[in-house]
Amino acid sequence: MILPVTRDAETAEFFDGTANGEFLLRRSRVTGEMLAPQVYTDSAGSTDLEWVAAAGTGRVVSWAVTYAKPVDGAQRAQSIVAIVELDEGPWWWTELVGADPAELREGLPVQVEFVRPDGSPETLPVFRACR
Amino acid sequence: MTAVLDLPGPPAAAIAGLGITEVGRVYGRTASQFAADAVRLAAADAGLALPDIDGLLVSSGLSGGVKLDLQRQLGLRDLKLLSEMQGLGSTAGSMVSFAAMMVQSGAASVVACVHADAPLVAERGSRAAYETAATKRTGWRGVTAAVGVLGANHYYALAARRHMLRYGTNHDQLGAIAVAQRAWAAANPRAQLREPITIEDYHASRWIAEPLHLLDCCVVSNGGIAVIVTTAERAASLRQPPVRILGWAQAHPGRFLERNEDLGLVTGAAQSGPAALRMAGVTLADIDVVELYDCYTFTVLISLEDYGFCAKGEGGDFVTSGVLDPGGKLKLNTGGGQLSSYYLWGMTPLSEAVIQARGQAGERQAEDHELILVSGNGGVFDHHATLVLGGAR
Repeated sequence: MILPVTRDAETAEFFDGTANGEFLLRRSRVTGEMLAPQVYTDSAGSTDLEWVAAAGTGRVVSWAVTYAKPVDGAQRAQSIVAIVELDEGPWWWTELVGADPAELREGLPVQVEFVRPDGSPETLPVFRACR
Repeated sequence: MTAVLDLPGPPAAAIAGLGITEVGRVYGRTASQFAADAVRLAAADAGLALPDIDGLLVSSGLSGGVKLDLQRQLGLRDLKLLSEMQGLGSTAGSMVSFAAMMVQSGAASVVACVHADAPLVAERGSRAAYETAATKRTGWRGVTAAVGVLGANHYYALAARRHMLRYGTNHDQLGAIAVAQRAWAAANPRAQLREPITIEDYHASRWIAEPLHLLDCCVVSNGGIAVIVTTAERAASLRQPPVRILGWAQAHPGRFLERNEDLGLVTGAAQSGPAALRMAGVTLADIDVVELYDCYTFTVLISLEDYGFCAKGEGGDFVTSGVLDPGGKLKLNTGGGQLSSYYLWGMTPLSEAVIQARGQAGERQAEDHELILVSGNGGVFDHHATLVLGGAR
């Protein structure tokens, strides 16, 4: 389930990106490395980073099938959560929307999808298996 | 030419007291009250009066509330050390090592280290205590929760899956840990879960976040535990057999939610383990009893590999060899651990280590208990602390 979220000073620029349909990453102007959006310092210790839009595609690194409490003794899968490695390198931990547990495997190609849950001021990036 | 100075080393530090409140589904007390009770019990256990305490380190769990005002609740005057510490599951190791250095330096002489938590509410499940969905979501942690990754069960399931994919680790292997620890818990009067389980029970237990079954997950507990740290010399004159604090180390890899090739494959124990053993001047082969942080069965498996009890990737075969059974070769999580006894973060392995080191574990007492390895693990393998303790010879 994708839930409402509010921005703060650290996430504001990222959410400006998602509102425009962009998944923003940070690129170091010093080392050139691509970093996850919540990273502020590159591996050389520099904070000279710029925002760049990711391609929005990646692959599944790991996944878990989440379950709610059983109803009448029966368990039903609730959602799939996954670690996605973006093609640029950084990881993103997210629900994998619309996934079939039977199709999940390491390396499964996925693409970003932007969702704005009811009551949420912000739009969130989640991932879906490529069709 | 400079003369070689033959300076005496600092005095050794020891754990002289242990206090464990009633633990489990115990209601009607705040975390702060549990903490105060635990400190009183630990002082009495050591044969000390409360005013003998001149240092206090406090630590909260999920429910918060164990704060500096514990000093007031305990009526402690003129403390030489008072601080709140927080390293999640590594906190107990951090508190004990800091307390040891304070008594070694002479800055304080008797330091109480306490952790308490009261996340369980009557008539609500354990999951409700630990789920983050209901909290206000903002900041980067809020983003992760908002996109559906809701706390420790999900994080650890994702980490465990990586080990399974890479090394072929399977549920028979994770289940063997749950079964062996429950067998140890049967002999622990404090354990919340003492009924023996079989591997079939493990497989039949419901999914929490597949690949994690219910029986892969720790219990949730209300309660408090405190230890009293002083010099080994002073401890020797007190009521209980001293438990010497011989080595300590921490490791904090710092890659939470970022690209992390080690996630689910290697933890900070691979650094803190050898460092703590080196400080103690011993090797892994010298260790008699092992108390590993076990928020999940998988945490035990990966920690065994990282400490070097078996090779990387061979944890699964190792734990199914019968080595973990109460009659087996490795005396591991001898009180049932967090999986079966009680979950008070790093105080669970530490408290059982003190009981074993003193030779007071009754039916479950390990015959050899001269050297004990204790681990703490916090976050998603983000914070690790190791202690090496010395018991009665």
